[in-house]
Amino acid sequence: MAEVQGLTRRAMLGTLGAVGVAAATAVTLAPRAATAQALGQNESVDAALKRVFGSRAMKDGSGMIKLDIPLIAENGAVVPVSVEVNAPMTPQGYVKHIYVIADKNRIPIVTRAVLTPESGQAYVGANIRLGETGDVRAIVEQSDGTLLQVKREVKVTVGGCGG
Amino acid sequence: MRSSGTRWLSLALLAVGCATAADRPDASRWTSRAIPEARGDIRTEPDGRRVALRYRGWTTHDFGRFRTYAYDDTRPEPPVQRVEMPAGLVGDPGRGRALFLNRTKGPCTGCHLVPGADVWPAGSVGPDLSTLADRKLSDAYLYQQLWDPRVVFPKTVMPPWGLQGVFTPDELVHLVAYLQTLRGPAVAESDPDRNPFTRRKPVGFGDNLDPTNNPGVLRAEAAEGLWSAAGPSGTSCAGCHPGGADKAMRGVATRYPRHVAAYGRVMAIEDFLSVHGPGTTGRPLPVESAQNVDLTMLIKMASNGLPVAVDTTSARAQAALARGRASFEKRVGERNHACADCHRPDRGASKFLGGRFLGDVTAGLTRHFPTWRTSLTDVWDLRRRFQWCMTPLGMNMLAADAVEYAELELYLTQFDNGKPMSVPGIRH
Amino acid sequence: MSDIGKVRLRVPSSIKAGDVVRVRCLVIHPMERIERDKAGKIIDKKYRYIDKVTVTYLGKTVVSFDTTQNISENPFFAFTFRATDPGKLAVTFHDTHGATYEGTADIAFG
Repeated sequence: MAEVQGLTRRAMLGTLGAVGVAAATAVTLAPRAATAQALGQNESVDAALKRVFGSRAMKDGSGMIKLDIPLIAENGAVVPVSVEVNAPMTPQGYVKHIYVIADKNRIPIVTRAVLTPESGQAYVGANIRLGETGDVRAIVEQSDGTLLQVKREVKVTVGGCGG
Repeated sequence: MRSSGTRWLSLALLAVGCATAADRPDASRWTSRAIPEARGDIRTEPDGRRVALRYRGWTTHDFGRFRTYAYDDTRPEPPVQRVEMPAGLVGDPGRGRALFLNRTKGPCTGCHLVPGADVWPAGSVGPDLSTLADRKLSDAYLYQQLWDPRVVFPKTVMPPWGLQGVFTPDELVHLVAYLQTLRGPAVAESDPDRNPFTRRKPVGFGDNLDPTNNPGVLRAEAAEGLWSAAGPSGTSCAGCHPGGADKAMRGVATRYPRHVAAYGRVMAIEDFLSVHGPGTTGRPLPVESAQNVDLTMLIKMASNGLPVAVDTTSARAQAALARGRASFEKRVGERNHACADCHRPDRGASKFLGGRFLGDVTAGLTRHFPTWRTSLTDVWDLRRRFQWCMTPLGMNMLAADAVEYAELELYLTQFDNGKPMSVPGIRH
Repeated sequence: MSDIGKVRLRVPSSIKAGDVVRVRCLVIHPMERIERDKAGKIIDKKYRYIDKVTVTYLGKTVVSFDTTQNISENPFFAFTFRATDPGKLAVTFHDTHGATYEGTADIAFG
């Protein structure tokens, strides 16, 4: 039988330029300065938005923000998300923060990415947990304080027979 | 260089009288080398209750009443039963709807769509029942359908719910009352994903071979240490198979499962490791142990990109394939389901079972096993997947290394022939 | 899990000076979820999860993430940086029990 492209795992890693790095497990060096208040709080999404953004206006970001997330999540434990913002990243003006928020999670704020002009592009991705079907938002804060938002409903699905 | 111990073992097995080529393997002669929770054992408690020993978190319910894949389980399918609807019971449609959606029963929505924004996710294996009452079928007809649909549709995949005792007669009366409320016209669908006939397919979890995407790859890489480490008898896998696992094992996994003469049975890599490991390095590698699964991944990864090439032509292979196919089509368990009912293209394959899109056996379903399970943060080999499937079906599982499973796996693997291996997979 | 802290980092195999480079990394970590008792009350314990990820390039922080227990177990993170000069890219994960784990890549042009 003709051999299909014989990519062994090692060869595959080489092509992708993967760098496997062993971990350095260091237990507490200097204790980190305590953050003012933990980002993730057990609260409603409205309370979370109020706490973080006060009553600042939030513009519709759908022209600029691409929120990439499966609209049906096969399970709530691992939902891949990426956010890409079509906006400059220069010292004169750049995307400073990207928030990912899951409305129905008991702790709605999932993560805040902090970017700099050296990031080159406003693009971040991560795997998130969703407690149940609900809206997922990406909120972008620019260096001049402008806030923009997009959101999508993600349905969390489940099997039909116990699986 | 094989140790003399292994040669003795092989001779002893032959002396005991292994099955000849065409005979059905005497599955009862195989002593399981699986970890305790993977052996399919049933324990009798002091109070007489029978309790199943399964993986942590799985039900301990004994389904001994229902037939299994075991070759010596010759119990027939439950006989088709015609019944009368009980008189004097008034069905409550509200209770019927709750039963229809109840996940500890069917749920009926696993296969059937009905109206309601709270119906998520319904399946498409069975017909859409949203306007069933328009057909003006009698209560008695519907009751019979739920009790044992085979009276009406002899080849149906729908379980005989009443016959098997999943629903009581009272509950079935409530269900009939509910079904009789499902009158048209059908409400326009506001969300195409709610309806399994228009729902978008799952997108999967991306590149399964990317170590920055699939934690399963890291587990397999860790097994390289095990490959090189000396076992209790002082030898290592690497000792007999030098050059690194990816070179020494290249192409090997493409031929499994296969008949292994020394043990007189069809074996997958997992089965073979459980006897080969202790026989050579002295290291026990019980089936379903993390070490066995991780080494299986490592060995299979050495064949990534190479086409699966299991023997399907020898007389022995043909006999095993025939038995595997019979298992695939055998109706088993409380649900009286066969693998074929969900995974054959003329039945459930490529339809939704609840929220799960059912795989088509003819497309080849084995070449990504063992697979990382994102919902469980663990690696599952195919045997564990079989054992899991059996549990909601209401069938006691066999030992993970049972010959029946190996031959079923061979039957499935033939559809992967010619397609490139890609281990580990990544699935929900 | 003895694998805790293993990091894998992926950068493209050929980078030109000035490119905006997309990077993916994965860390093995339990990212412990909140546990609740039978009454639904949060069990008070020091949950172990990554709460900060820092990306440094040529010694300067270019991206960081403040993270919560709603990031998945064994999470991946993706981000970009502008590759101006050859040098070290490091991703450091800090967890609530004081452990830090790091993955590095040498950025070279060609």
